[in-house]
Amino acid sequence: MDITGGLLQGFAVALTPANLFWCFVGVFLGTVVGVMPGLGPPATIAMLLPLTFQMNPTSAIIMLAGIYYGAKYGGSTTSILLNVPGESASVVTCLDGFAMARRGRAGAALGIAAIASFIAGTVGVVGLMLIAPPLARFALSFSSPEYFALMVLGLAMVVLLAGRSLVKAVLAMLVGLWIAGMGIDLFTSTSRFTFGHSELLDGIDFVVVAIGVFAIGEVLGNMETREGTQMLPVPKGLRNLLPSLEELRACRFAFLNGSVIGFLIGVLPGTGSTIASFMSYGLEKAVSRHPEKFGTGVPEGVAAPEGANNSETGGALVPMLTLGIPGSATTAILLAALILWGFKPGPLMIQENPALFWGLVASMYIGNVLLLVLNIPLIPLFAQILKSPVYVLYSLIFGISIVGVYSVSGSLFDVWMLAGFGLLGYAMRKLDYPAAPLILGLVLGDSMERALRQSLMMSQGDLAILVSRPISAVILGLAAIVLLVPLAKKVGEVRP
Amino acid sequence: MIHWSLIAVLAFAVAWTEPAAAQGFKPSKPVDFVVHTGPGGGNDVLARFIASAIEKEKLVPVRLQVSNKTGGGGLTALAYLVEKRGDPHTIGTFTSIWITTSLMREEAKVTIKDLTPLVRLALEPAVIVVKNDAPYRTLKDFVDAAKQTPGQLKQSGGSIGSRDWVVRQLLTKHTGAQWAFISFPGGGERIAALLGGHVQMMVIEPQEAGEHIRAGTMRVLAQIADKRLPAFASVPTLKEAGFDVRTLPVVRGVVTPPGVPPDVLAYWEDVFARLARTATWKKYLEENQFEDAFQRSAEFAKFIDRYAEEMRGILGEAGVKVVR
Amino acid sequence: MKGDLASGAVLAALGVYIVVQARRWEYLGPDGPGPGFFPVWYGVVMIALALVLMATSAARRATAPTPRATAKLREIGRALAAWGALAVCVGLLKVLGFLLAFALLAFFMTAVMYRRPILPALAVAVGSALGFYLLFPLALGVALPTGLLGF
Repeated sequence: MDITGGLLQGFAVALTPANLFWCFVGVFLGTVVGVMPGLGPPATIAMLLPLTFQMNPTSAIIMLAGIYYGAKYGGSTTSILLNVPGESASVVTCLDGFAMARRGRAGAALGIAAIASFIAGTVGVVGLMLIAPPLARFALSFSSPEYFALMVLGLAMVVLLAGRSLVKAVLAMLVGLWIAGMGIDLFTSTSRFTFGHSELLDGIDFVVVAIGVFAIGEVLGNMETREGTQMLPVPKGLRNLLPSLEELRACRFAFLNGSVIGFLIGVLPGTGSTIASFMSYGLEKAVSRHPEKFGTGVPEGVAAPEGANNSETGGALVPMLTLGIPGSATTAILLAALILWGFKPGPLMIQENPALFWGLVASMYIGNVLLLVLNIPLIPLFAQILKSPVYVLYSLIFGISIVGVYSVSGSLFDVWMLAGFGLLGYAMRKLDYPAAPLILGLVLGDSMERALRQSLMMSQGDLAILVSRPISAVILGLAAIVLLVPLAKKVGEVRP
Repeated sequence: MIHWSLIAVLAFAVAWTEPAAAQGFKPSKPVDFVVHTGPGGGNDVLARFIASAIEKEKLVPVRLQVSNKTGGGGLTALAYLVEKRGDPHTIGTFTSIWITTSLMREEAKVTIKDLTPLVRLALEPAVIVVKNDAPYRTLKDFVDAAKQTPGQLKQSGGSIGSRDWVVRQLLTKHTGAQWAFISFPGGGERIAALLGGHVQMMVIEPQEAGEHIRAGTMRVLAQIADKRLPAFASVPTLKEAGFDVRTLPVVRGVVTPPGVPPDVLAYWEDVFARLARTATWKKYLEENQFEDAFQRSAEFAKFIDRYAEEMRGILGEAGVKVVR
Repeated sequence: MKGDLASGAVLAALGVYIVVQARRWEYLGPDGPGPGFFPVWYGVVMIALALVLMATSAARRATAPTPRATAKLREIGRALAAWGALAVCVGLLKVLGFLLAFALLAFFMTAVMYRRPILPALAVAVGSALGFYLLFPLALGVALPTGLLGF
């Protein structure tokens, strides 16, 4: 089926009143779920599954997919306003998003996040539509050596996220690596750093660390003084509620960067939107003319990661729909749903069910538009939250953090971990250790170690596998450049 | 007079309460159906299906609510079930991986032995597949190639103690061939490694393989089952292919917390026995290519003990530390 | 930076702990690096960098002794008090359940940390707890931690 034919058929399916309704329900639910820290698409989709048995499968997948990419829109809200990551991928948005809010540009940040999400989300759908099969085949040539190279490139971003002290940034990253290694070692089933607690057998959930270090750490820091009745300046007037033309212009490259990187990373099974948002942020900072301003509230610092985590959903649907391979927790449950409804995900699914595929694709275009329309008017509403007195806001942040963490695993142990990481976050602020490298190490550490050991198992111990394969060699080369160029600059600075 | 009427009243009272006692337990509030995977995981999907099938067949007067208690290879769910000692409104899905976890994890403060096995429901067979352009047409081809290039061929699979690892241990021991086993945390990554040509062979669930076989991207060498599955009628079983190896199956069942009174146990056993006889269930087994392996509580308990013994032996031989 | 010596020492100690633990596991197995490989290496780098940090901090102190700024103990004290309240709230979750424990926390934050009068503080506490109840269990179906009182 050619693309125009397919798309026409798809829109015919997606524009029926019923499917429009379900699309709206999906994206609305997704936005709500995304805003709430901790509560995520997989659990929500699972809860709704019994309902879907009564529905037409195409309508059902349209709705569930709406939850999936809708959540990525909502995730930035609490990140920007409260420094609480709403979704694990929104952690990077906290960096410049919250900083923008601190400067009174909360509305602008929210607007940029929405626009970036829209552009990238649409690009993701276009990619899914146009190049899914050949891209999926290309992605199959990625294996452990290439993943390892990608992780090394990601960790090299530490240098870019370093801020004032490179030593402290690397130390924070190493602590992140350590936390990432806690749990059962996949290859030998040895327990590492579990301190005898069975709750640590799966390691510490990323959400717990991120919310603890960012949100709670921030609140504790602010509680040092009793000054100020308001946490953040409330943006007044339309000018402050929306991004300025200047800011939008600054984001030109970021929109592209987020869309492309997010989509490509999404296609690789096993990588997720968190990695995509870090990479995109790092790339944006690397090519920026004012890299030192990142972290102080530059709009590109919001646009890039927010775009990346949206187009990543389009990318993750590529292996799911073309090969039946799930790339993430949410795509795994979407696959399970498809199976429950009687479909057989695999290489033949699109061919045999064109109405489903094209209906879904068309609905995603519609869904992204709906989300933009939904989110922009909500900005003034959300910005009003900032009017609340600090004692209300801070209590709420504590409360939301607890509920968010508890909703992930139902474990009080995790809530204690949250409190512990909150203290760590506060200590890091006082001692001037940047938090982003810690999170980066945590996100990448496990995958990187696994990829290295898998690679060496494939090559029977020969390290050359990492450079003899063309793709991994290229990526490692990029990592070397990313590492060495700023280092050379810094060393050059030290020598008088 | 009074004497007789008193006896009559007593007799009436006894007659009135007797049937209630004989009826035994019936759940009176929603039942907590514990699952050790997250939403979308194998047991989660199974539990949700069971819950909806039971509702459809009206086997239970209340709702079964699936709750996910993930973590530790089943340990979190295990611990939660043990905490619910004596509660007649809690049941949990069981997979054979809990046995392995109980054997291997020192951190486990409670083990499968602390639970009450209720019923065994199904066995999951598996198939051995290679990429469609591989030079192996039979399992023997693969094993011979492995013998000629020891350690160079690769299999993608799960962690130590998982079924694919057990298959590899038993086959290598049986044949003397050697090939590498590379663990990947997710099914998607394992399939991608095979399809991308980075590993040569993998053990996979039949329904996962089904679509790839139909599309021509994978080829099945053998099936790991006692008798041939209808969907794979032309594929030899391990034994038929010349490898008389008794592998440990993947088992799915239901357990209850410890200390549950006998009438509650009998009630739930009965519910699942009736479920296993329904057409809905049989259709589900067929669609997912599971083997019907219904067993009641007593045999199931014995099965678990035998399984644990065999697994202990396999782990020990592979040099993996077994803590109990 | 003032705390560098101390934080460097803590991190160096952590690095030592990591390396010591890692040595107990397999460093190089038959198939490739074992579970001990990575931890040994990042532990070693951690020790090295922590020592560098301590050294540069000591050197800086020697050349330009920073006037001992009033350690702002009161500020840190406030932050730690807030953390203490959070910890107590978490501890009470199993006993009182989220709604009550959170109400207490909100009350503490408002009345004690920010010295607002009792009545508004109570209003904040009750109001926000109610909000949580309406939003999470009722509207979204998300379970809140429940305590001995059943909610």
